[in-house]
Amino acid sequence: MNDDMRNATENGKALIFEVKGNSLDDGPGIRTVVFFKGCPLSCLWCHNPESKKALPEISFDPEKCVGCDSCLAVCPEGALDRANPLFVDRTRCTLCMECARVCPGTALSPVGRYLDIAEVMAEIEKDLPFFQTSGGGVTLSGGEPTLFMGFASRLLSRIKDKGIHALLETCGFFDFSRFMVLLYPHLDTIYYDLKLFDPEEHKCFCGVSSETILKNFAELSAVCARDNREILPRIPLVPGITATRENLGSIARFLKGLNVLKVALLPYNPLWLSKLPVLGQTRRTGLSEEWMTGAEIEECRRIFSDFRVV
Amino acid sequence: MVQRNMADVATHMALQTMAFHFNYLPRFRKYLKSDDGWINFSLGMRTEQGNVRQCIIFRDGRARVSSDIPDDVDTEMVFSDNGTLKDMASLPPNEVLNLVLKNRLIVRGNLVFAQLFSFFITLFVKGKIINMMKKQARQCPGGSCSDSTQPATRAHKIRPQLKAPSHDPGAVYLDDPYLSSYSLADFPRLEKFLDIHFTQKPVICHERPLLLTGWFRANGFEKRPDGSPWVPELRQGYAFKHLMENRKPIIRKDDLIAGTTTAQEIGVVLYPDSHGTMIWGELFTTPFRQLFPYDISDETREILHRSVFPFWVHRNFKEWVREKYDNPLCQSLDDRFAVYFLWKTAALSHTVIDYPRLLRLGARGIIEEIRQELLRDTGEDQAKKDMLQAMILCYEGIIAYARNLAAQAAREAGIETDERRKAELERLAQVCARVPEHPSTTLEEALNAIWIHWVGVHMENTNAGFSLGRMDQWLQPFFVADLKKIRGRKKRGDYIKRAIELVGCFYMRCTDHLPLIPDIGNYLFGGSSSDQAITLGGVTPEGKDAVNDMTYIFLKVTEMLGIRDPNVNARYHGEINSETYLRRLCEVNVNTTSTPSIHNDGMVMASLREFDYPPEHLRDWAATGCVEPTLSGRHIGHTNCMMFNMVAALEMAMYNGRHPLMRWDAGPRTGRADNGSFPAFDDFFQAFCAQLDFLMDNACEYNRLLGEAHSVLRPTPFISGLIEGCVAKGRDATKGGALYNSSGTACIGLADITDSLMAIKKLVYDEKEVTLQEMREAMETNFAQNSRLHALVLNKVPLFGSGSPEAVDMANRITRFIHDRFGAHTNFRGGRYTAGFWSMSNHVAFGTLTGALPSGRLAGKPFTPGLTPEAHASKSLLDNIRDVSLLEAGNMNNNIAFNVKVVPSAKESHQEAVDHVYSYARTYCDLGGMQMQFNVVSSETLRDAMEHPENYRDLMVRISGYNAYFVTLNRDMQMELIERAEYGV
Repeated sequence: MNDDMRNATENGKALIFEVKGNSLDDGPGIRTVVFFKGCPLSCLWCHNPESKKALPEISFDPEKCVGCDSCLAVCPEGALDRANPLFVDRTRCTLCMECARVCPGTALSPVGRYLDIAEVMAEIEKDLPFFQTSGGGVTLSGGEPTLFMGFASRLLSRIKDKGIHALLETCGFFDFSRFMVLLYPHLDTIYYDLKLFDPEEHKCFCGVSSETILKNFAELSAVCARDNREILPRIPLVPGITATRENLGSIARFLKGLNVLKVALLPYNPLWLSKLPVLGQTRRTGLSEEWMTGAEIEECRRIFSDFRVV
Repeated sequence: MVQRNMADVATHMALQTMAFHFNYLPRFRKYLKSDDGWINFSLGMRTEQGNVRQCIIFRDGRARVSSDIPDDVDTEMVFSDNGTLKDMASLPPNEVLNLVLKNRLIVRGNLVFAQLFSFFITLFVKGKIINMMKKQARQCPGGSCSDSTQPATRAHKIRPQLKAPSHDPGAVYLDDPYLSSYSLADFPRLEKFLDIHFTQKPVICHERPLLLTGWFRANGFEKRPDGSPWVPELRQGYAFKHLMENRKPIIRKDDLIAGTTTAQEIGVVLYPDSHGTMIWGELFTTPFRQLFPYDISDETREILHRSVFPFWVHRNFKEWVREKYDNPLCQSLDDRFAVYFLWKTAALSHTVIDYPRLLRLGARGIIEEIRQELLRDTGEDQAKKDMLQAMILCYEGIIAYARNLAAQAAREAGIETDERRKAELERLAQVCARVPEHPSTTLEEALNAIWIHWVGVHMENTNAGFSLGRMDQWLQPFFVADLKKIRGRKKRGDYIKRAIELVGCFYMRCTDHLPLIPDIGNYLFGGSSSDQAITLGGVTPEGKDAVNDMTYIFLKVTEMLGIRDPNVNARYHGEINSETYLRRLCEVNVNTTSTPSIHNDGMVMASLREFDYPPEHLRDWAATGCVEPTLSGRHIGHTNCMMFNMVAALEMAMYNGRHPLMRWDAGPRTGRADNGSFPAFDDFFQAFCAQLDFLMDNACEYNRLLGEAHSVLRPTPFISGLIEGCVAKGRDATKGGALYNSSGTACIGLADITDSLMAIKKLVYDEKEVTLQEMREAMETNFAQNSRLHALVLNKVPLFGSGSPEAVDMANRITRFIHDRFGAHTNFRGGRYTAGFWSMSNHVAFGTLTGALPSGRLAGKPFTPGLTPEAHASKSLLDNIRDVSLLEAGNMNNNIAFNVKVVPSAKESHQEAVDHVYSYARTYCDLGGMQMQFNVVSSETLRDAMEHPENYRDLMVRISGYNAYFVTLNRDMQMELIERAEYGV
């Protein structure tokens, strides 16, 4: 168990930043998505920056602040200051969340809660009737759910007990044998992200080498083919980083070699940049602030002309 | 005595000037005279403070001004202050009505004279006013201006269309029940009719009121020419026959259905015995008003002013009640618009008559049955004999009209040069010679019979919410009979295409008339047509699957035309109807953006359990007007008898019985918010209930008095002939002749009330964050001084639709109270009240007349439509769906309107969008929800439509229970639609 795991699990609970119902974008039908908080990768463009850190955080959204100053009166650490452009001094904040409790709106709010299996299941089961009429189910996402193997395994087994379709979204950076024992038996579908083929580049932009990820994918896709289980490689298109001819070409060759001929391309979404200041992080430069054009997306698709692109 | 001032002098001078013109200038003087002689009336003007008091008196062709207002003044205009008085002098008449709506101008006494006075004022300033209105129309950037004279830019969208995933057991003759191979382009006739629909400006038609008024003037209204009193039913029977015999028989160019509601291409029908005179003041300006302008010819204006309106000044529902019951409190409340609106001031309508009987027997057969009843009845019941006689007169009238149509068709065929059209006209001549006089034998005859009868319905009854009922059920036998006579695949295919075209023509016929809406009504009921509801699917009276071939043909026509009227309602029975059917309903909804509305058949029927209707009658229910259930052919349920503002009761509870906008201590003194009158939440809740009770009692009382007015002024022998019970009892439908009688209410603001009470309960009582007094201050200041409290109520209170069981309990507590208390009242016809939670468009209108609420809704903003949760209640639509489905159906026995706005994302295919909508609808029904309606359009599109109305003339949206064209709505309503929560699919 690494440090992240210890931080993010506690007495059989896992750190989860959202259980989101009525999702139509994370697999078939109407789904409930469980977003775990914490990720072994650190992709520069991560569009869920609130999911990266395996610790609770506090967010401050100035647009929601009515300026009542109730929070200033209750903060025991003096961590709040109107003169501070980020408002919260996170070096002093102990995450006691007193300020969020008194905030009349949701300007100050906790990011990440420790939930146990029963709490997550209660959220999921609410939507059961919708799964049944839509062919939907539950998607584990994040963050990185495989960081929470034990918890996810128990959760998935409860989900399957209810006959609910289970889908995992993963970055592929996990211990293969544990994955096969703890998660794989419960999964109907796996969405597997492939970002950068080159190990060095992957390390540079995502914090770790791509070797494990590619190796895991190769083995897992073979198992899935054998078991007739769906595994869908998904490639986030980040202009200038992943969306290059070389990178996409390498991935295409890699997939073809494995006889995996269906792929999802996820066009870049610049909206994540605006999430950063809320979490007390500075806006990063060097990454595109624009949506991709139709032509750019088309160019990427052309590289996968032999594939079924979804 | 308050000191009179300059305003008083100015008013006096202005009235003197007016009097001078009427006394000495012929072009004014001529307007003092009607066909009945000089128009005599007096009108007082004063301010609330009393610093202005003037009166103008018109008597025997002379006008004079008095500086005092006599006690017996006919009409009095009371201005809140001098400023309002000044506004009155300079505003166009439509905006004067807004002063009334906003309670800055209160009109007491006979409202028709206020309209006449307004007309007189227009005589002086019409040039200026019309210029002002034209200028406003030009400046208005948004959709509110609908200058229909511009050519249409209707792009016929090619809509994607699915094939049926599997066969439907009910659709025996259709290979693909979804009829996916047909599109509008296959029906050039319908395309042409659609163009007319979207481009022709409606015209006020004087045919009906002139013929009727003429007959009454000659034959008497209260008394016969010999001085004996008229039996109202007989009088109406003779007058109806006269009207039907003498109105112009018109066959619209290229139509396959004969007959028109008015003498105009698209006509506005006038009912001076209900609210028709309310347009008097606007007769010069209707063509120029921003919302729903009507053209009017000089001839029509002169006829209405001289020959029609003066006759009805005292003979309309409102004024009859005012005079007979001396202006009762219940009426004064209605006159002020803010707490309730009683639809009987305009219409009873809102029912579904027995078309199967008409098709089976024909009018001749119905007369024969009535004669049998007359023979059977040997007693001394003269009232019954008169009633039956009146019915016979009506059916003779409808036969005469059909014969005139047949003759007209034959005449036109004689001179028609196009061979194809000639054949169609010859055929129409044959059809009209047979029906509705005789039993129908083909689909074509059945549709013509229903339409001709439908014209008759609207000649007798105001065109507001009268509904067509289960047309797929009633027409299927004719479709099957026709098909059985046809051999060969190709020929059968041709017939199916023709059936689609015939139904399409029928739909387009339904658009040939519009209700008369005085401009004030554009704010109250914006964009509403006459809401002619058609109901499809569900179960048969025997409880079997009712979905059939005609169901799918109606759905195809609904999809191709995408028009607001007829208002299509679909019954879906989860255990009996097929998935194929529900998927098709969802697809049509996606393709038309807003229709049909989907009813969970089992739950709607369950909601009516307390009435113990025989199951075979209950299963024959059909939606009426918007969404409300009527038991077809045997039930007067006046299902939209009132629009009831529940939120007003909350304001009155907060202000100790005072209504803030009306500035009136009308309600009971239930306690002050600032002195600890309400130690516990339940104490406050009781005060709220007491105010509700007060308003309900008064609304029901007024409804009863208006019911009586209908029975005296306008009994309805024609429709009574097709409502089970009326013949056997020999009693008119307005007097309780129907087998079943009830009155249905529309209670508005459920989500706003629930959320407000939750805010009070949580923040004032449970958590003691604020006092009730502080809450009231926040309401008074529109939360301007208290943004923290505003943020708290918006974010920290569990709202209806958020998945909070406590909020759902609160909503059920309110609906139960409303249902039980309304249910304890009896209407004029001896029936009970039902409680509905839908709002037509009044959630916007009542919202503009309501201050800020504890829920955080700001002053003047709309309430949510129907019982739809607030947009910010939850991020997940599923929470909304679940909470609404948890409301107890038995408390909502006049149905509900649950609006959901969804937007197909660019990523998703048409199939996926339909699948998602299907999943929502299906799950909602599985969970026990009653009714649901989708708007499939993005706020972005709606905003663009406000900017460029010319590109979106046919963009249809569902308001609450009815459909309207977005670009024709008033701005408040447009913004309300835009601000609704939006979910991707």
